[in-house]
Amino acid sequence: MKVFVMSVAAAVALAVAASFLLNENQKFAYEAFATSGARVSEPGTNLVGPKWNGETTEPSGKKHGA
Amino acid sequence: MRRGMTLFRTIVVATALAAAVPAMAQQTRDGLNPTGQNPTADSVTEEFLFKQEPKIGGRVSIPDGKSANLIQPQGREYQAFREGWLPWIGGIAVLGILGLLTAFFLLRGRIALDDPGPDTGKKILRFNSFERFAHWMTATCFIILSLSGLNYIFGKRLLMPLIGPEAFGTLSQWAKYSHLYLAWPFMLGIAIMLIVWLKDNIPEKLDWEWIKAGGGLIGRGHPHAKRFNAGQKVVFWMVVGFGAAMSVTGVVMMFPFAVTDINGMQVTQVIHSLIGVVFIAGILAHIYIGSIGMEGAYDAMGSGKVDLGWAKSHHDLWVEEQQAKNASVAQLGTRQVPAE
Repeated sequence: MKVFVMSVAAAVALAVAASFLLNENQKFAYEAFATSGARVSEPGTNLVGPKWNGETTEPSGKKHGA
Repeated sequence: MRRGMTLFRTIVVATALAAAVPAMAQQTRDGLNPTGQNPTADSVTEEFLFKQEPKIGGRVSIPDGKSANLIQPQGREYQAFREGWLPWIGGIAVLGILGLLTAFFLLRGRIALDDPGPDTGKKILRFNSFERFAHWMTATCFIILSLSGLNYIFGKRLLMPLIGPEAFGTLSQWAKYSHLYLAWPFMLGIAIMLIVWLKDNIPEKLDWEWIKAGGGLIGRGHPHAKRFNAGQKVVFWMVVGFGAAMSVTGVVMMFPFAVTDINGMQVTQVIHSLIGVVFIAGILAHIYIGSIGMEGAYDAMGSGKVDLGWAKSHHDLWVEEQQAKNASVAQLGTRQVPAE
């Protein structure tokens, strides 16, 4: 039982470590595919804003089109 | 007089239009030009474009060149596999092996320990702590990977109607995390087991004799076997082979488009999913024979120690090896003085 518990703990620990390492090497699409000429919206936003008036608020709190 | 001329002109124009419109409408319906020529005869067709390349694309300004992909017919074949064939293949593989194991259990029953003999009750170490650690780390990861993998195929069909889309969405998100992250300790476990058990799993002539004798599953006798019999060697090489294939294809999918293009990604997923369902079926058989299928078998990976009587029945040559080794160690201890 002790060996089993240790093996599960090791699996979880390695999985957590893997999650950190993998996240270090990943970019969101809005980061990876944006250029100086093309802005890709962050998830949860669109280019016209929730009221369709051109006022958008990115999740970071940064305002566009105000 | 002037009014009369105007009326006459109007009648002439109306008559001309009445004669022309049906003819034009007819030509439009036929898609024919009044001149008899097809105006789009020289334009590029889908068929022509597919002769140049297997997909049709355009140009985009963002750095993601894949977004320029407009039509890719191979994707339809992949979709037909993913949404049509795969659930059937997966269902038949998993339910099929469960049905076979149930039928085998009902026919053969649990393979019992032999009648008590002089060695019954004595214990022999079959797997040390490190071996059991590697096995259970790989096994627990495999179970989560299997369930989360099956969720990719069956989740939206079987689970979502039961628990609703919101709960299913949350569950699937966590299942995906576990699939991606537990893959790493799983791969490590496979590598450790390969190193630790390779020498005992090299196929040899004895394995063929074991197979010919039915491996003890059929009949009452137990053919000779060393540390691992032919059946266990099959499981070992299945785990190593399928584990390696799942690892390679899994890592390719974990870093999308880093190694291959969209076709390659789809082919990779086909391989990953097909091997995955066969792997699950194989491991279900392994779990069966290591637990309810055979009395005394679980102790090997449970406590690490098995009944000596059981070991002599199932792995007689290995017990002889171990006892000879122990005897020589004991001899060394009594007759030789270790170097200082």
